[in-house]
Amino acid sequence: MKNRAAPTSSDLKQMYRALWRIRTFEGQVQRLAAAGEVLGFPHLSTGQEAVAVGVCAHLTREDTLFTSHRGHGHTLAKGADVQATFAEILGRDGGLCRGRGGSMHLVDAANGVLGATGVVGGNLPLAAGAAWAAQATGKTTVSVVFFGDGATGAGVFHETVNLAVLWKLPVLFVCENNGYAEFTSREEHSNVKHVSAFAAPYGMPAKTIDGNDLPAVYAAAGDAIASLRRGDGPYLLECMTYRMAGHFVGDAQQYRSKEELAAMKEKCPIERLKRHLLGLGVADAELDAIGEEARQEVLQAVERARAEARPDPATVLQYVYSAPSLAAISG
Amino acid sequence: MTQTFIEILRRALDEELARDPAVHLLGEDVAAGGAFGVTKGLAEKHGAQRVRNTPISEAAITGMATGAALCGLRPVLEIMFIDFATLSLDCLVNQSAKYRYMSGGQLAVPMVVRTQAGAAGGAAAQHSQSLEAWFAHVPGLVVVAPSSPAEAYGLLKSAIRLGDPVLFIEHKRLYVQKEEIDVNAPLPPIGKARVARAGDDVTVIAYSAMVRNALEAAEELARSGIAVEVIDLRTLAPLDMATIAASVSKTHRVVIAHEAVRSGGLGAEISARIGSELFDELDAPVTRVGCPFSPIPFAPELEQALLPGTPHIVRAVRELVG
Amino acid sequence: MALVALELPKVGLVMENTRVVRWLKNVGDVVKQGEPLLELETEKSVVEIESTESGRLVEILLQADQEAHVGDRIAWLENDAVGTAAAPPVSGVAVAAPAPAVRPAAAAPPHAAPPPAANPARKQGRIKSSPVARRLAAEHAVDLGRVAATGPRGRVQLIDVRRAIEAQAAPAAAGPAAAGAQPLSSMRRALARSMTLSNATVPQFVVERAVDWTALHAVRAKLIAQLPAGAPRPSVNDFLLQGIARALLAYPALNATFSGDANLPDAHLVPASGAHIGLVVAVENGLLVPVFHGVEQLSLVELARRRGETVERALKGKLKREELEGATFSLSNLGARGPDRFTAVINPPESAILAVGRQRDCVVAINGGIHVRPMSELALTVDHRVADGRLAADFLASLVEILEGDAWR
Repeated sequence: MKNRAAPTSSDLKQMYRALWRIRTFEGQVQRLAAAGEVLGFPHLSTGQEAVAVGVCAHLTREDTLFTSHRGHGHTLAKGADVQATFAEILGRDGGLCRGRGGSMHLVDAANGVLGATGVVGGNLPLAAGAAWAAQATGKTTVSVVFFGDGATGAGVFHETVNLAVLWKLPVLFVCENNGYAEFTSREEHSNVKHVSAFAAPYGMPAKTIDGNDLPAVYAAAGDAIASLRRGDGPYLLECMTYRMAGHFVGDAQQYRSKEELAAMKEKCPIERLKRHLLGLGVADAELDAIGEEARQEVLQAVERARAEARPDPATVLQYVYSAPSLAAISG
Repeated sequence: MTQTFIEILRRALDEELARDPAVHLLGEDVAAGGAFGVTKGLAEKHGAQRVRNTPISEAAITGMATGAALCGLRPVLEIMFIDFATLSLDCLVNQSAKYRYMSGGQLAVPMVVRTQAGAAGGAAAQHSQSLEAWFAHVPGLVVVAPSSPAEAYGLLKSAIRLGDPVLFIEHKRLYVQKEEIDVNAPLPPIGKARVARAGDDVTVIAYSAMVRNALEAAEELARSGIAVEVIDLRTLAPLDMATIAASVSKTHRVVIAHEAVRSGGLGAEISARIGSELFDELDAPVTRVGCPFSPIPFAPELEQALLPGTPHIVRAVRELVG
Repeated sequence: MALVALELPKVGLVMENTRVVRWLKNVGDVVKQGEPLLELETEKSVVEIESTESGRLVEILLQADQEAHVGDRIAWLENDAVGTAAAPPVSGVAVAAPAPAVRPAAAAPPHAAPPPAANPARKQGRIKSSPVARRLAAEHAVDLGRVAATGPRGRVQLIDVRRAIEAQAAPAAAGPAAAGAQPLSSMRRALARSMTLSNATVPQFVVERAVDWTALHAVRAKLIAQLPAGAPRPSVNDFLLQGIARALLAYPALNATFSGDANLPDAHLVPASGAHIGLVVAVENGLLVPVFHGVEQLSLVELARRRGETVERALKGKLKREELEGATFSLSNLGARGPDRFTAVINPPESAILAVGRQRDCVVAINGGIHVRPMSELALTVDHRVADGRLAADFLASLVEILEGDAWR
């Protein structure tokens, strides 16, 4: 699935499966976090799956992806193994990062997932740097960075955009604008309603789209990434979406009205893609089967992940430095 | 050949740029030569793609250097004054230092941040600090501080080749220092201190510009019959306790000297480690020479009143020896 | 004139219960600083305690056989130092007001009195010292309390301990040391004293016989073959011990020690209650003579067990006091590398010592025929005040008969 102007029915069904995969995965994280098995602060991307899937559909393995603390969906969409990803969230030795990263620091270097950061905005210049590396070595790979609209409050967002434009770096800034930064709604922390408005002053092309409309995400992302590969410089894609779970698991969602929540469920990306596929003549039963397969795949991977071994405390000091001799003297 | 500190740094960068295509320089004004002229001529020689100017965006350029290092480049980032590294801190501390660990060893950050520190006559409070202790406190960062041109040449090359994020702290007052250097000498390893002068009576541990002061103090004390051993740490983190232990086991008395503020400075960590690992070797408490707890003032009389130097080291040694 | 109390210093790293063996100086003697004053038995060995002051010994506070602890007051010296010592406190010690007259020793139980302020750093008993100074002091058994401190706030520094060690190494009493002079250990000094005493006061003579080991070897081999696994195997020394015991019981006149001064009418012989025999054991830098009491009651296997265990302890310096005394007779066997024959010196207050030469195959004439037999030369040294030649010769002949016989327990 690479940069086709319009996805085929088969492409769409694959993406439908991918949406369900992420949805189920996040549901399991939520369930196990409530049960105390997932520790720390996992952030769920329930309801925002279409952005991850639609953008990653255009990425190769070598393209690099950076995400935020809300990065499970992006990581899976880029091709990370479900079991290894869940195992990492459970802190297992067989997890992507051998239990050292956890939910907010997922890395799958083999698939180009170069990291998630818990510091809002911290990933932006990293992605620009990865894009610079590609450019400096003459590659046509691109770098994609996912961030929430709250990150535009950080100075480093503006520094990075400025620099990316100046150096014409092949980096795609994907803003998932879900209307909230931590627990504050957008109106309260910025006069600028749409993040795409920040692009023009720097001279960067941008677009705002409905992030829950997968075909729309797919089309816009395809254009943007093609432009990056041509060497046109960075691009900002603002995807309007809605967070269906709270800011993080355990967040009591005091700050939204029940009506709001019900309305958004109407706009669920999975429901909408299903309606779209039904409109294209795909059988309901087939879609249900795809959904069920994706769910089973995840459920089984989660069970396998839960049975995995925990890390050996004796290895805790591994990976601090490149050379063991440096670690040995580090006091 | 005799070269200044600046010339020798330039030479090291030049040679590394030629040797390894992954090496790239970036920073504010580096293409134009950098604030102190270290990178002068390198953009012309190696191309504008290898030596790049950046806007005044420490946070972004540190992030970019880090991201590029994740993807196979070996960036050497110049942060003009260590005082501005505060703007780089989020990336250095939360990303660069931790990437290898957080990723379970999947990724590395082979980058060098060149910066400079220290007081040099009227630079005042925001351009004169020595902040190495902050970085030495972050697991995953390597902190190096060369004490002379010859040392800087080898240590910069070693830092670039290391494979970990290195903070390479130059000192303003050393920039014009000249020294005969041997470019064919083996590169000093990261993580190993050197004995700059041997002696039996007292160990003086120092780094960066203070090594010179320590050697001057040793010369003066030798005339009174006191043999001072001077250790140049070279790498501040991680610390070469083995070299320190060998020296303290011989002399049994230690002075640690640095320009940084004494309270909470690196001397405190070294002192604590000596106290706990070498307790039975000590004939006297470990003494630290450092700056009193104050910002660096502008007026020269005030600045001079504050800064530790050779007389302070001499006095500390004499008090120890009794 | 002032009175100075002498206290028992710490000897070595660990010093728990000790016992005074004997005083080397008498009341009224003039003592120089560094001269040995008394012998003290520690857990490991007998050590000499030197006087820390010069003066005249005016009172002994701890007698021979008394238990002693570090810091105990052991004697009073009278010297010319002005006002150095306080009058002895009355509290706890049953010693009356100081007087230069000779006084009977107090029978007070020893207790640790507060030490004198010999060192300014020693206020309230806490000595300030640097860690490396402490370490060096411990390695050389230097008492920190007696080191002159030159460090800040009265701290004992490395240089101070080094000086103290140098001063300690310098020979104590008479005359400058010759170049290359090697000081003696306490054990060697004790041995030298004992052998000198033996030579000077005990008239000794020697009788000799050869012994044929053939029969004994056969008995031994048979005995060992019958032993259960793990049982100790009797050695030739065990046979010798049992043989000597039997001979001593047969000749009780030799199983006694001479006591007193031959010039005085109260000189007498003290018979032993049984066969108490010492075995000379070579230890590092000297020798020890553990005593086996009541050997006549022990079988060879029991002897072997006791001998093995005791020798092991002797080599570690862990003999008890009662194991070092009470013998009338000692056995010295220098083993396979020993001389063909040698004469041993009596170990006072014992009356005899048997020296066993090495076993050699010798050509002997038996009943007109020439045979080769394993033999040793035995030399018995005897205290002539206890026995004369006839008794000694009879004893030795009887011993050889026993050793060449087959009647063993």
